[in-house]
Amino acid sequence: MSRSVWKGPFVDSYVLKKAAKSRESGRNEVIKIWSRRSTILPQFVGLTFGVYNGQKHIPVNVTEEMIGQKFGEYSPTRTYYGHAADKKAKRK
Amino acid sequence: MPGPDRDSMICVGAIAGAFGVRGEVRVKSFCSEPEDIAAYAPLSTEDGAHSWTLKISRAVKGGLACWLGGVKTREQAEALRGVRLFAPRDRLPALPDDEFYHADLIGLDVLDTGGARLGRLHAIHDHGAGDILEITGPGMRTPLLIPFTREAVPTVDLTARRVIVDPPVEVLGEGRGGDDDEAEE
Repeated sequence: MSRSVWKGPFVDSYVLKKAAKSRESGRNEVIKIWSRRSTILPQFVGLTFGVYNGQKHIPVNVTEEMIGQKFGEYSPTRTYYGHAADKKAKRK
Repeated sequence: MPGPDRDSMICVGAIAGAFGVRGEVRVKSFCSEPEDIAAYAPLSTEDGAHSWTLKISRAVKGGLACWLGGVKTREQAEALRGVRLFAPRDRLPALPDDEFYHADLIGLDVLDTGGARLGRLHAIHDHGAGDILEITGPGMRTPLLIPFTREAVPTVDLTARRVIVDPPVEVLGEGRGGDDDEAEE
C-alpha cells in the first residue's frame, strides 16, 4: 500500500469546517477558501467554493468527477481572454 | 466591447502566414473545434471587402494548412499574414435552451434582480468547473465572477440585450471591495 493511500487525502481543516457549516445552513452560498492544496472530497459535491487564485475567488461548483483532485486545479492564476468565435456556454 | 448582433461578424480565425510553396496558408482557428472553421466559409475580412472560400488540407504545427479561394502562390499567401477571418453570426447553428454563444453574451448589460445596473458582461471563463461570467462595471475594484447557473443567472434576454443576475452575497461583496471575509485559519 502506497503512503498516500494509508495517510488519506489532505484537506485543510478549516475547509472541512466551512463546508459542514454551509451544508447545515442549506443556503446556496459561495464558500470562500484560500486552500488550493486541499483535496476535493465526496462530501463537497454540490457545494460552490470560491477558490482564491492570488487575486480573486473563482467560483468552483463541485461535481462528482472532481473528487480526488485539488481545488487549485480549477482556479487558474493566469488570465487568458481568447476569441469568442463559436464557443458556447451552458447554464446549469 | 459590445457583443455582436445576430447580423454582425464574428472573428473565427486568423491567417498566420504562408505554408509551403504552392499557395497554402497557415490558419489559426479560434473555434472550439478548430476544423469547424471550414463550416463557416466563405470567410471575409471584418469590413467584408475580401472574401475567400476555405478548404482544410491538414493540421500543421501552429494551426491548419488551408487552401483559400483565389490564392495560388506563396507570395499571395504571404501577403495575407495577419488577416483576421470573419463569418456572419447567422451562420452559426442554433443552440438548445440554456446554451448560448459567448459572442452573443459578451457585452450584454447586467442587472440585479431589483433592476439596478451592475455593469457589463466582459468575458466568460470555463476552468473545468462550469462556466463563469465576468462582470465589470463602475465602482468595482475587481471583476465580479458569477457561476453561470439558473440560481445565479435567472434571466438571459438576448433580444433586450441584458442579463439579470442574483449573485450570492459573498460574490457581490468581493466585487465591490467591501468584504474581505476571514483569512485562512
